[in-house]
Amino acid sequence: MGQFVIRRTLYAVVTLLILSLTIFTVVRLTGDPVTLMAEPGAQEEDLALVRKEWGLDQPWPVQYAAFMKNVLTGELGVSFNYEMPVSTLYFQRLPNSLELALAATLISFLIGIPAGIVSAVKVNSVWDHVGKTIALLGLSVPGFWLGLVMILVFSVWLGWLPTSGQGGWRNLVMPAVALGWYFAASLLRLTRSSMLEVLRSEYIKLARLKGLPAFAVIAMHAFKNALIPVLTLAGINLVIMLNAAVIIEVIFAWPGIGRLLYEGIFQRDFPLVQGVVMEAGVMIVLINLLVDILYAYIDPRIRLSR
Amino acid sequence: MQGKDDDTRRFALGRRRLLAGGAAALAAGTSRAYAQKVVPEGKLTLAWHTNIAARWLDPQQHDGTASPDNFLMALHDALIKNFREVHFDHPALAERYEFAEDAKTATFWLRPGIKFHDGSPVTTADVKWSYEHYHGAWGEVLRSKTDGVEIGSDNTLHFHFKEPFLDFPILLGTGNVCGAGWPVPAKYYQQVGQAGFLQKPIGAGPYRLVSQEPGVKLEFEAFPDYYRPVHIKNLTMVAVPEAATRVAMLERGECDIMYFVPGELIARVKNNPKLRLAPVLSGNWWLEFPGFQDPKSPFHDKRVRQAISLAIDRDAMNAAECDNMGVVDGNWINDDVEYGMKWPKWPHDIAKAKQLMAEAGFPNGFAVDWVTPLPDYYSRGERIVSQLQAIGIKSKLQVMERGVFLKKIESGLSQWPGTQIILNVTRIGGTWSNWYDTMFKCGGFQAKDFFCMKPLDDKFAQYLASTDRNQRQALAEEIQKTMLEEYYFVPVFRHAFVNAYGPRVKVAKWQDLFPTITSGYAYPWEDIQLT
Repeated sequence: MGQFVIRRTLYAVVTLLILSLTIFTVVRLTGDPVTLMAEPGAQEEDLALVRKEWGLDQPWPVQYAAFMKNVLTGELGVSFNYEMPVSTLYFQRLPNSLELALAATLISFLIGIPAGIVSAVKVNSVWDHVGKTIALLGLSVPGFWLGLVMILVFSVWLGWLPTSGQGGWRNLVMPAVALGWYFAASLLRLTRSSMLEVLRSEYIKLARLKGLPAFAVIAMHAFKNALIPVLTLAGINLVIMLNAAVIIEVIFAWPGIGRLLYEGIFQRDFPLVQGVVMEAGVMIVLINLLVDILYAYIDPRIRLSR
Repeated sequence: MQGKDDDTRRFALGRRRLLAGGAAALAAGTSRAYAQKVVPEGKLTLAWHTNIAARWLDPQQHDGTASPDNFLMALHDALIKNFREVHFDHPALAERYEFAEDAKTATFWLRPGIKFHDGSPVTTADVKWSYEHYHGAWGEVLRSKTDGVEIGSDNTLHFHFKEPFLDFPILLGTGNVCGAGWPVPAKYYQQVGQAGFLQKPIGAGPYRLVSQEPGVKLEFEAFPDYYRPVHIKNLTMVAVPEAATRVAMLERGECDIMYFVPGELIARVKNNPKLRLAPVLSGNWWLEFPGFQDPKSPFHDKRVRQAISLAIDRDAMNAAECDNMGVVDGNWINDDVEYGMKWPKWPHDIAKAKQLMAEAGFPNGFAVDWVTPLPDYYSRGERIVSQLQAIGIKSKLQVMERGVFLKKIESGLSQWPGTQIILNVTRIGGTWSNWYDTMFKCGGFQAKDFFCMKPLDDKFAQYLASTDRNQRQALAEEIQKTMLEEYYFVPVFRHAFVNAYGPRVKVAKWQDLFPTITSGYAYPWEDIQLT
């Protein structure tokens, strides 16, 4: 088990190194941030000064070393745009994103899991078709469109909910639904397929043969086992919602991490983009690592296989 | 549309300019007494159209664009500034100023009793420090021309210049160009540093900052010690990048003023009887032909450039893009900046355009590699592509991210190979020379080696060297006239930056809320009232 943990941890470190190199290179391929930082009439000397001030005149390896140093110290560098440590900005926005992501996760659970179970249990029935339609709509209706339509209907026409911004629960409803909708569809599909697989297994047949009531078979035996991949996906979804709800946060003027990333990209704020992506990467890698270790702990076959 | 106003004209070399100190002081006294009577009430919310950059709260690092102006007008105050119809030289923190005949000195008298938001007085030392440490747009120009700043007695400050510096008052007082005339509390700024100042900026404007969520929201409160009456107690500026959301906020009364209604949403606001549009005239659009001076370029022939001008349906562009709220004028430089000329509307005549093309040896037109509009005004580029087809010019629209576009522009002709047309726009405050210098002069920031017309650049050098105001005006007009008559640039139209406001804002007409065209934004903040 110890060897397995060490091996997986090394994989995680290598993954993060690759991610850091990728994001470091990609943001620099988008162009020179100084173009957007300087005033329209700036001369070449002014631009050179700005580059020097932010260390952009240094060779890439030197810049990368500085970036990695910032990552390791947890500061993540200083944002060009805000002139504040990226970590401060990130953690200022994190609670807002967490609030939105948790609400969206709850909505995706409330829609996706029951609908997925019903679809699987009543396979090829009307209920299944309804479930499939929900999944199809969820995956194909863009969140930004849904968000704008909801603003028009629930804010402008009906006047029930505020259009945007952060405040009470009423501010949370529309962005959470718009964000959770897509993830509800993916959870629905996974729950359905996972349930179908479990429902066809021998131990479920045995439970039925033993005369257990249908509800008990589904709730006590099938659902519990079908839930494992669903929860894994939900965990990853949560991290994605937390860090990359860019469009929804922009439409609803929600002050979260996705919007921070959007601002960083548009301003070519290298430290900000690098920092947000690295934070998201660390979260995903850590969650995967924990899940891997947990799986290995539960199922010894996993830790024995390479 | 507002033309060149008298204030810029009356600022003439050859006579000593002394603003009516007595009257200003009297007005200040009256206004202070009135300020004490007005009790600020209510809350106004502005929906800002992009994210809010922290640097806009610090005049010391003004980026030379119009955006900081919105925030400076609330949080800070200047020695002199744009104020309603008065361009650049309205007395603010300075109750009066004097600019010498030879344009080599300027003296400012600070208004008595003015304070920063922390209660400390605004002193001549603060103004001097702010000017000397200013490191934003035009800072280098100010530094290179300034010999020294001397603190005099009686709340006076003397600026000495190495050479005649005619543009000094314009630079100092135009908040959408330069921030050197907007003092910060020197001791506090040094104590907290630039980054600290951005977190908790202190100014001398009508509103003090109470709290901020960086990039997202600014909460202001009326500053009781401001020398003019402030009518609204709480002012919130919230960043809402999505236009449809801003319009919905206005419809629901969640905000009172919103900036930038894009073309597709104008009708929605227009059809709502509770809302009002405020189409503030903004920058001029024009077509430019990089490398037209090369004899191999089809644009080398003046007749081709003229034919293009004749082929452009400017009214259709204005109607489609701005719901007719822009202006089809004739110059590529805004005529409300110093020496910006008025020019008649250009004709639209396809038959004559075809004839000119035939005379130039292109009876069937020719192919243009790319038409590139300033991102993200792609629909305007598409209209140009389509309109040029009428005279046989076949082209394609080139779309790119704005940063890439700017970088390519700033990299010069090598980045624009082949036959290219750029649909460009700018809006630079102050004086026409800023436009020419940036957009056309050989080596200019966005001109580089695109045009390089030596005779015009020589005249421009003459203009810069001249201290004779009449001669400067004559040269400025001669250069603009040549550019237009030779079709070096083909002006398209002046677009409107369309804003909107809700029923709670107490104004008779939108111009009361957006009083000048030097800034697209609402001001003076202290004057805005709620119903």
